[in-house]
Amino acid sequence: MKLHEYQGRELLRRAGANVQEGRLAHTPEEVRAIAEEFGEPVVVKAQVHVGGRGKAGGVKFSPTPEKAYENAQNILGMDIKGLTVNKVLVTKAVDIDAGTEYYVGMIVDRNVGSYTLMASSEGGMDIEEVAAATPEKIIHHRVDPITGLRPFEARDIALKAGFKGNLNKIADMMVKLSEAAFERDAVLVEINPLFVDADGTPMVLDTKFEVDDNAMFRHRDLADWRELEAEHPLEVEASEYGFAYVKLDDGNGGVLGNGAGIVMTSLDVVNRAGAKPANFLDIGGGAKADVVYNAVKLVSKDPDVKSIFINIFGGITRADEVAKGVIQALDEGILTKPVRMRIAGTAEDEAKALLNEKSSDLIKMYPTMFEAAEEAAKEANSAAEGK
Amino acid sequence: MGILVGKDSRVIVQGMTGSEGAKHSRAMKEFGTNVVAGVTPGKGGQDFEGWPIYNTVAEAKEQHDANVSIIFVPPFGAADAVLEAAYAGIPLIILITEGVPTTDMMKAVQEVSRLSEENKAQGGQGIRLIGGNCPGLVTNGECKVGIMPNRIYQNPGRIGLISRSGTLTYEAAKLLNDAGMGTSTTVGIGGGPIIGTTFADVLPMFEADPDTDAVVVIGEIGGADEEAAAEYIAQNMKKPVVAFISGRSAPKGKRMGHAGAIIMGDVGTPESKLAAFKAANVPVADTMPEIIDLVKKALNQ
Repeated sequence: MKLHEYQGRELLRRAGANVQEGRLAHTPEEVRAIAEEFGEPVVVKAQVHVGGRGKAGGVKFSPTPEKAYENAQNILGMDIKGLTVNKVLVTKAVDIDAGTEYYVGMIVDRNVGSYTLMASSEGGMDIEEVAAATPEKIIHHRVDPITGLRPFEARDIALKAGFKGNLNKIADMMVKLSEAAFERDAVLVEINPLFVDADGTPMVLDTKFEVDDNAMFRHRDLADWRELEAEHPLEVEASEYGFAYVKLDDGNGGVLGNGAGIVMTSLDVVNRAGAKPANFLDIGGGAKADVVYNAVKLVSKDPDVKSIFINIFGGITRADEVAKGVIQALDEGILTKPVRMRIAGTAEDEAKALLNEKSSDLIKMYPTMFEAAEEAAKEANSAAEGK
Repeated sequence: MGILVGKDSRVIVQGMTGSEGAKHSRAMKEFGTNVVAGVTPGKGGQDFEGWPIYNTVAEAKEQHDANVSIIFVPPFGAADAVLEAAYAGIPLIILITEGVPTTDMMKAVQEVSRLSEENKAQGGQGIRLIGGNCPGLVTNGECKVGIMPNRIYQNPGRIGLISRSGTLTYEAAKLLNDAGMGTSTTVGIGGGPIIGTTFADVLPMFEADPDTDAVVVIGEIGGADEEAAAEYIAQNMKKPVVAFISGRSAPKGKRMGHAGAIIMGDVGTPESKLAAFKAANVPVADTMPEIIDLVKKALNQ
C-alpha cells in the first residue's frame, strides 16, 4: 500500500525521527489558517499517489498566508497524472540554501535478500536520475535483517556518502529509518530530501513510504489510511475479490489467467498478436467458478476492453470450473464482449464439453494460446477501429 | 533419480490438516511420495487419514526420521514454520505458502543460511529452503514434494526444469512431455522478492545429475536472478541450457502479480536478462513452444 507523504511523515515521526512540522488541509481556508498559525512562509504540497508533483505544479512556496490560500485554490482539484488532488500538506518552508539536502532510502533488494540502504549527497533529486548519471554518488549498504542497521554502520555510511553535519544525529536518523522500515514492513521508504541545517541537525522534509500488502494483517491501524477514492475503481473491486489486478494504459484487450507467470506471458502473446493488453489479472491458483465469474465481470466493466483473452493451464485450478464461471457470466448477460480462450490441463475435457454445449459467438476456444490471442487481438482491434 | 528428492525422501507436511495441506498430502501420496506424518500444533496425537499428526516438527522428525518438510502454513506463521523445521534439523524445506511478508522471508532465509553453515561446519549436510510462493519440486515418476498436477509427471525424461512461475512450470513440463522428452526433476523456486533457493543454486545440481541431459530455465522480469544464472552457466555449465523470460512486454514500475516481477530502473529489465543469456550463449525462446525446438537443437549439437 502506497502512503501519502503526510502519512509517511507520521510513521517516521512515530519512529522518533525529526520531521519538519506540517498539517493536512482540505480547503484553501484551512491552508490560510495553518499558514497564519505558523507565522512563517509555508509550502503547499499536493497529496496524491504519483511522483513528479513538483513538476506538475503541485508543490508551491507561499511567502504569505494569502499566497498560500491562492496556491491552495490552484492545487486543490488539480489533475496530476489522472488523479484529482483533494488534500494538501502545509509545511513550514525551509531555507534550502542555509543547509544541505541529502538522500537516504531503504528498499527491498532481492539480490541481497534484505533491505539495501542507499545514501547519497545528491538529495532533492530523483534518485533514479542520480543512479543513471552518477552511480558512484550512491552508497549501497545491505542491512542485516536480524540486527537491523546499527549506529556504527550508519556513521560509516554517512561518512562514505559525504554527509556533513552532526554525525551522531545523522546516523541516528538513519537507524530510525531502518527501524521504521522493518517495523512497518516497508517495501520502500525514502527520505528525500534529508535536510541538514547550518547547525548540522538533520530533518525529514519529504518522504515516500510503501507498505508490503502481504503484511497488512499486522498493520490494521494503517488499513484505515487507505483511501479507496484515490485508487482506480476497478483496482478497488479487484482487491475486494482478492485478485492481483493491474490496469494498463492504452490497452484494448482484456487478459486473464491463472498465475502471475502465465498472465505475464499472456500479455506478451497479446502484444505479439498486435493488440495492446488493457489489464493484468491473475485469478490465482485453485479458482472456482464464482472467482472466474467475478474476474470476467470485472474485466468486462472496463470500457477500454474490446475483447477478452483467457489463458488457463489447469494445475490446481480445474478447467471445468473456469468454463462454468465464463458460462455463468454469459447466461447472466454480463459478458458482452468476445471471449477467446485457451484452456488446458486439469479437467480440460470436461471444460470443453461444457463450452461446446453453449454455442455462442461470444465464447470460442482454441487449441493454443497463440491462436486464442490472435483471435482476441483481431476482435479487439476491429472493435477499436469500428468505434 | 534426479536431484534433491527421490525414493529415500521421507516427507512431513506442516499444516497437513488444513484444506490445502490435506488435498496435497493426498495427491503426493497418490504420486508415490513417501509422506510419513503431519505437523499441526495443537492436534498432536490425532490420526489424519492414516497419518499421525504431531505438535512439533522435532517430534515428527524423531519418530519418522523425516528428511523433507513441505509447508502449507498460512502467511502469518509461515516463516516461523520454516525456522521450526530448520532448527529441528530437516535438511530440505519446501515453503509453498504465497503472500508471506517480505521482512519475514528476509529473516528466515538469513537464519536458515546461518544454521546451514553451522551444520556444515560440524560435518552435517546443511539446510536448503526452497520457496516461498513456489509449487515445490518433483522428480518425475519418483517423488513429488509440491503441488504440481500429477498427470504431467508420469513419464520420466532427461530435461531438468527450473522456474520462478508455477503455471509456466506445468506448461513447460507438458510441452516437454508432448514432445516425447519429459523431465528429470522440476524445481519451482518461487516468484517472491526474497526466496530461499535461486537458479544459480539449482544449476550445479543439474550439472552433476547423471539423469539430466539439458536444463530449461523459466525466468521473468524483475530481480537479477536470471543474470546471475547466466553468469554461472557461462563459467561452469557443460550441459546445454535453454531459457525463457516471461513478462517481456510488461510496463516499467508496475508490479505484475509476483511481488518480484517489477522493473525498477534498469534492474530486472527483459533487455538485461536477454543480454546476459546471450553473453552466456544460452538460447532464449520467444514463445513457450519454441523451448522444445531449442532443447532439441541443443541436444543434437
